[in-house]
Amino acid sequence: MKTVAIYSNKGGVGKTAAAVNLAYLAAQNGAKTLICDLDPQSSTTFYFRVKPKLAGKAQGLTKAGKPIDRSIKGTDYPNLDLLPADLSHRSLDITFNAMKRSRHRLNKVLDPLAGEYDHIFLDCPPTITLLAENIFNVADLVLVPLIPTTLSARAHEQLLAFMRKQKYDPERVYGFFSMVDRRKKLHRDLALGMHKQFPHIFQTPIPYLSQIEQMGLQREPVPAFAPKSAAAKAYMALWAEVSKMVG
Amino acid sequence: MQNFLPFYATSNYDEIQLLETINSSMSLFKTESCIETLTYYDTFDWRLYHESLALVEGAGLYTLSRLNDGQRQASAQAGDKPAFVWDFPPGMLQNQLAPILQMRALLALAQVEKQAAAYRVLNEDQKTVVYLISEIMRLPQTDTESPLITRFRLKPVRGYDDQAQALALLLQEQGLVATGDDRAYTKIMQAARRAPGDYSSKIALQLEPAMRADEATKTVLRFLLLVMQQNEAGIKKDIDTEFLHDFRVAVRRTRSALSQVKRVFPAAVTERFKADFRAVGRFSNDLRDLDVYLLSETGYRALLPEILADDIGPLFTHLKRKRSQVLKQVRRDLESEQYLRIIQAWQAFLNEPSRDDPSAPNAGQPIINLAQARLYKIYRRIVKAGHQILENVADEKLHALRIECKKLRYLMEFFASLFPEDEIGQLVKQLKKLQDNLGDFNDLCVQEEYLLRAAAELPAAKAEPQEALLAIGGLISRLDQERQVVKADFAKTFTNFASPENQAHFKRLFKPQKKVAAR
Repeated sequence: MKTVAIYSNKGGVGKTAAAVNLAYLAAQNGAKTLICDLDPQSSTTFYFRVKPKLAGKAQGLTKAGKPIDRSIKGTDYPNLDLLPADLSHRSLDITFNAMKRSRHRLNKVLDPLAGEYDHIFLDCPPTITLLAENIFNVADLVLVPLIPTTLSARAHEQLLAFMRKQKYDPERVYGFFSMVDRRKKLHRDLALGMHKQFPHIFQTPIPYLSQIEQMGLQREPVPAFAPKSAAAKAYMALWAEVSKMVG
Repeated sequence: MQNFLPFYATSNYDEIQLLETINSSMSLFKTESCIETLTYYDTFDWRLYHESLALVEGAGLYTLSRLNDGQRQASAQAGDKPAFVWDFPPGMLQNQLAPILQMRALLALAQVEKQAAAYRVLNEDQKTVVYLISEIMRLPQTDTESPLITRFRLKPVRGYDDQAQALALLLQEQGLVATGDDRAYTKIMQAARRAPGDYSSKIALQLEPAMRADEATKTVLRFLLLVMQQNEAGIKKDIDTEFLHDFRVAVRRTRSALSQVKRVFPAAVTERFKADFRAVGRFSNDLRDLDVYLLSETGYRALLPEILADDIGPLFTHLKRKRSQVLKQVRRDLESEQYLRIIQAWQAFLNEPSRDDPSAPNAGQPIINLAQARLYKIYRRIVKAGHQILENVADEKLHALRIECKKLRYLMEFFASLFPEDEIGQLVKQLKKLQDNLGDFNDLCVQEEYLLRAAAELPAAKAEPQEALLAIGGLISRLDQERQVVKADFAKTFTNFASPENQAHFKRLFKPQKKVAAR
């Protein structure tokens, strides 16, 4: 089992779209896949037409064993299951904090699923607290969407510095460009500069495209409702790169 | 993967009305429909059926599923009608079939035409919460109004059990019956006039202890004749090697019964048929030998060092060519006047009503007395001979002991139904361990000699034989090493077999209560 966390400490960077589409593509290729919606905004859950609710409330997620298993929902796509979001995830950070070995709790929760799934995707909330540290501990690959701007370059540098300081392996962190506007010269220039600054950035950029925004209306992954679209092709190319790391 | 639960329709069933009923309380969305011809496969001896499995082909896709609940185990696309497990592409399906089918060929046993439609049940968010498949099956080329099987299959979506249960309830309210997949299989086999499990080479007879010995023996022999007859066609068609194997085992058992169950038939009759079946066995000695070598090709290659592994090729090319000639001879023999006369006379004898005053001295004895006396005598002979071998291991003595063990084994199989099943089963298991050791030893001896002879037969014209001879030499030396290992194992195997507990067990079961003439 390989775990991919889609993580950013900023909101609105195309994180959920990436998680949903990449998980869908992994499942389409035949891998048993689970996507976990850890974000209390529950966008992933919404995209899969599932109601956000968790059988055991937040304690269910933090205790290893049965409850997480019971909360999993089958999506409309073969090989793809979903762990829906729960509003009580808001309090996850507090819950983790109150427990021993609180930085490893998520490992414990996901371990029992190792036999069942080939891939687990974590759609993470924008935070750099204890939950984030749990995510860094559990993920084989931390995938960070980057909008080519000066601020996001700074934020990414801060993230890597934080990981080094806390002794997390920054080698597992990979970026990819998200919401790229090809018409903007600034985007092109900044992207070039960031490729030089950060060696771990995937080649495929995800452009800013209306099909991706339509996911909210269609409530389906892009390759499911527009398999030939530019957006679908971009995610396929990105998944081809990512799957080499976690395949 | 979660399961598709089948629900069967009984008579007076109206699909359109049922779908409307479902649609009135749930939102039903049809996704696809198809018509395909399904072919059911199994071996002649129903190996898949005995493992509660069914192998079904539709549009070139072979799917293995469990019989009781229809759970799919593995599937694979395979062209060109695969007959043997090695004809399937490598993968899950082949891996699962291999230990079950072994060297047996798959036969197409039944065909149905399936008309299927797939539906999704959607909730208010247009999310799929249950999958539903409607299936109607008919025999091909029949225009009958009523289909063979009408059923729905329901697959829950994880996390939406309530909705699946609601739909299951609705189907049941509409008169459909929820049950395992066996029903479809049974109906399809019935319609194709097949009786699953109707062939087995294992002796499954119920004898009564008080039965007259000649009658009981004839019952066993009639069963063995049936096995021979059931396998004849498969041998001639050369479907796989096991038709001949089962045929030959039945012939050997027949000869063993004739000589081991003493004086139940007139001496002249016994002598005549012993000679006849010796001849029938001889027909196919060469063919069986060749089958055995060809079946172990992969094993032989694995024994050789890599540098020689490919050089053994010419040997197998030679053996294959030889086999096709030998097979022709066996076909002729099975159609010969001599064979037909033997079988006819044998059948006539076995079906002759028994006389009230039989001339053979043991004919009127209760079979239990005869069986016990004979079994116990041979058992003691084996224990005695085995102990002698422990003191001085000689190849010929091991061969002789192997023959004695075979006699005992056949007798135990003939008369198994006279004894408590688990007790005799345990003894057979003990005996089998010893037989395996002796059998391995014998096979290795025979193979070494055979390979030496085959080496002399290889056509010398081509350049290959040099290497081929080297490879055969290499093989013989590996087999000989193996033989020494097996020989060294004999002491332990026999000591286990002749342990005091086992001896007591044999004695308890077989020691005759009173003396009878069972020489």
